[in-house]
Amino acid sequence: MNLDWSVVWDNLPRFWDGALMTFWLAVLTMALAIPGGLILAFMRLSKIWIVAKSATAFVEFFRATPLILQIYWAYYVLPAYFDVQLSQLATAIAGLGCNISAFNSETFRAGIVSIRLGQWNAGRAIGMTDAQVMGRIVLPQALMRVLPALASTWVSLFKDTSLVSIISVADLSYVSLKIRTESFRIFEVLTAMAVIYWLMGYPQAKLVDWLHRRYKVAE
Amino acid sequence: MTGSQPKQRRVGDASAPILALERITKRYGVLTALEDVSLTVNRGEVVCLIGPSGSGKSTLLRCANALETLEGGRILFEGSEVHAGDPKSARAVRQRMGMVFQNFELFPHLTVLRNVTIGPTTVLKLDQAAAERRAKALLAKVGLSDKASAHPAALSGGQQQRVAIARALAMEPALMLFDEPTSALDPETVGEVLSVMKALADEGMTMVVVTHEMDFARRVGDWVVVFDKGRVLEEGPPKQIFETTTVARTREFLSHLGWHGESTLGASAQALADKEDIAR
Repeated sequence: MNLDWSVVWDNLPRFWDGALMTFWLAVLTMALAIPGGLILAFMRLSKIWIVAKSATAFVEFFRATPLILQIYWAYYVLPAYFDVQLSQLATAIAGLGCNISAFNSETFRAGIVSIRLGQWNAGRAIGMTDAQVMGRIVLPQALMRVLPALASTWVSLFKDTSLVSIISVADLSYVSLKIRTESFRIFEVLTAMAVIYWLMGYPQAKLVDWLHRRYKVAE
Repeated sequence: MTGSQPKQRRVGDASAPILALERITKRYGVLTALEDVSLTVNRGEVVCLIGPSGSGKSTLLRCANALETLEGGRILFEGSEVHAGDPKSARAVRQRMGMVFQNFELFPHLTVLRNVTIGPTTVLKLDQAAAERRAKALLAKVGLSDKASAHPAALSGGQQQRVAIARALAMEPALMLFDEPTSALDPETVGEVLSVMKALADEGMTMVVVTHEMDFARRVGDWVVVFDKGRVLEEGPPKQIFETTTVARTREFLSHLGWHGESTLGASAQALADKEDIAR
């Protein structure tokens, strides 16, 4: 096999730009999907039927259909039939944001219902409103409890951002596949792509593991 | 008070009761937890509720603290009716009533100090410094000044329960409810919790205590109420219940607990005796 790694070194600035885009896509998506997931979780726990059911419908739709279809649908159907014009980047973030919000809402909801009723009673017994008990007693414990689950969502999200390359958002995948097409250096380019994803993803996974150990709530 | 029937004198019966349960009924589905129960608690009085497990004692405390809605009757606290279904009314009651749970229910994510300050800062809107001063004084009172910055998980059961008592006292309640406060404890830590409770009673705190500690009920209680199957079987001063009862079911219950009319020298009795020696 005749390998020529110069294609990687020569295109380093382009890989760098793609990697940055991947990073920011994941960060912005999570910045939307944490509040989004919380809102959906609170809606699903609501006693008002229509609020709970509409959140359930949203969550079940986004969890049960492929992300790639959601991105295509947002990119082609929304502008054509609903007169919504979003840039490719905005479409990508909106699609990923809705999808990850749906997954996060299930994580948050599981965390909230896992806090035992006695904690609610203890908070109420000192005169707190239910909102205060939720905000100061239940949610902080629930969030720490679900940190590992959120972390795995983050790591999958980081890799799933590659799907937005199908609508020409210049992330690491899009850039890499483009360089491959231009240079025909399939082995070198795809290997470089894998190494860059791993170099970015592995420390994040480790950092999240550390956060989990550091903020574990002992009972 | 001059009732039409002859009544036994009770602590604090010169003024209106702080808590009055009037013929309350509480059901969970088909299960009747409390049936037509009436009970009064006077200011400064220590009322102990005893009886077999599942006889409705804990349910009664939860009803008093507006954590349960009633199927019948009403509850008056400081002269006004408790409405568990109305969040505002329920909160007003709970602010004035401290509650201590069998399983402590400290907030595990907060330090001991924060567990005690969180009520005053969030509910009473006390500023942080004032709340901390109050909390530190209360932690000193329950003998845990050195644990202020620890998290609950680092404490023994007895220590956690003492923090829970301090947390309830931080709201400066008019009445304290204790729901089997020593039932989940290792035997060697029961005494330290009972000592704190006795000290509180000696200061004149009004207390309702659900307990299986008969020594405590006899020595600290001013009034004892015996429950069975969701009803009040008998009530009276400790002497009547523990020494001269004529109710067969009360005698049967007490003998099941190994009570034969006089104090046993168990760990808790010894701790209370020690406490009295120290006070002297």
